[in-house]
Amino acid sequence: MTVRFGYTILYVPDVPATVAFYEAAFGMTLRFLHESRLYAEMETGATALAFASEEMAEMNGVAIRPLRAVDLAQAVEVALICDDPHTLWDRAVAAGASPLTPPTTRPWGQVVGHVRDLNGGLVELCSDMKAIA
Amino acid sequence: MSIADKAGVHRVLPDGRCDIILRFCATARPINSITIVVTGPTTRHYDVLLEPGMGFAGIRLRPGFLHAILGLRPMVLRDGNLVGEAAIEACAPLSELGAKANSPDDLPGRLVAFVRHRIALGHFLPPMQALRILSAFHASGGRLRVKDVARMQGISTRTVQRIVQSATGLSPKSYARILQFHRALRLLRDHRMRPSEAAFEAGYADQAHMTNALRDFGGLTSTELGDVTLVTLGD
Repeated sequence: MTVRFGYTILYVPDVPATVAFYEAAFGMTLRFLHESRLYAEMETGATALAFASEEMAEMNGVAIRPLRAVDLAQAVEVALICDDPHTLWDRAVAAGASPLTPPTTRPWGQVVGHVRDLNGGLVELCSDMKAIA
Repeated sequence: MSIADKAGVHRVLPDGRCDIILRFCATARPINSITIVVTGPTTRHYDVLLEPGMGFAGIRLRPGFLHAILGLRPMVLRDGNLVGEAAIEACAPLSELGAKANSPDDLPGRLVAFVRHRIALGHFLPPMQALRILSAFHASGGRLRVKDVARMQGISTRTVQRIVQSATGLSPKSYARILQFHRALRLLRDHRMRPSEAAFEAGYADQAHMTNALRDFGGLTSTELGDVTLVTLGD
């Protein structure tokens, strides 16, 4: 049996609003929005970043602690690799992301910064480790 | 919509919602005797006696929307209902739902159109904060405590209590316990989990606590779950 990593799905309060935020803040593009507006995927290559409505958690039989902007961040982060984390960090904050850690060069040579998205989800903005290797 | 083909009993579970139900004699044509029933939020199950040929068309109102749709506070209907003239007296526009119908098939569409029209009027719509709070309780399967939801929303516990009570007619603790019961039932029935596993996943202290909830809320046992309707926030 072959197993591959297919999706990361974030359960969010408002799927269209989250898509709009990821487009404005991080320059991502929408791949698919279901007509119910309860599920969407961003254009992220072979491994999809998807957003599902909190309602879908209940419909799927799972229970979650929902993302909320003022709550303590959850123990997971979405890492977005880009050419210029400094510029992307500024763009994200200008679009309404909550600033967390400004991009700095880490001891291993990678530039890493963090923001929280509109729902309070942790997002890492970083340079590509391949460019360092 | 459903039409009873024989005498029987239909069990209704508490789900934190209010319903608008049209009760009618399905064998008559046209259908000219429609009784309007508005049910309030309940904390216990109840049984509806069915007679052959009795028809029901109903719509479950999304939590928080009773005030917008009928201008009524759910609190005043808690564990109660309004039937016929009492319902129309409480909300005069309901009378249009009782108009003669050519077929039972016309009634679900009539209900949906009524609800959509009333929401479109934009009166007493629930604030976004209330919808987010209710969504958090649903998404967590009733496992979040009131103080957790308050912290997540950056508001006081008292404010959460006031918002949930106003939106649903139930205390947040009662509302959460009903959602937890529904999730346990779904895990047992739809996902075929073993009772001990379902109790753990649903957040009960042990299987005995889940057994008590099944009995108190639904009159059910983990081996006799019955033919009951479960709903989610999205339904």
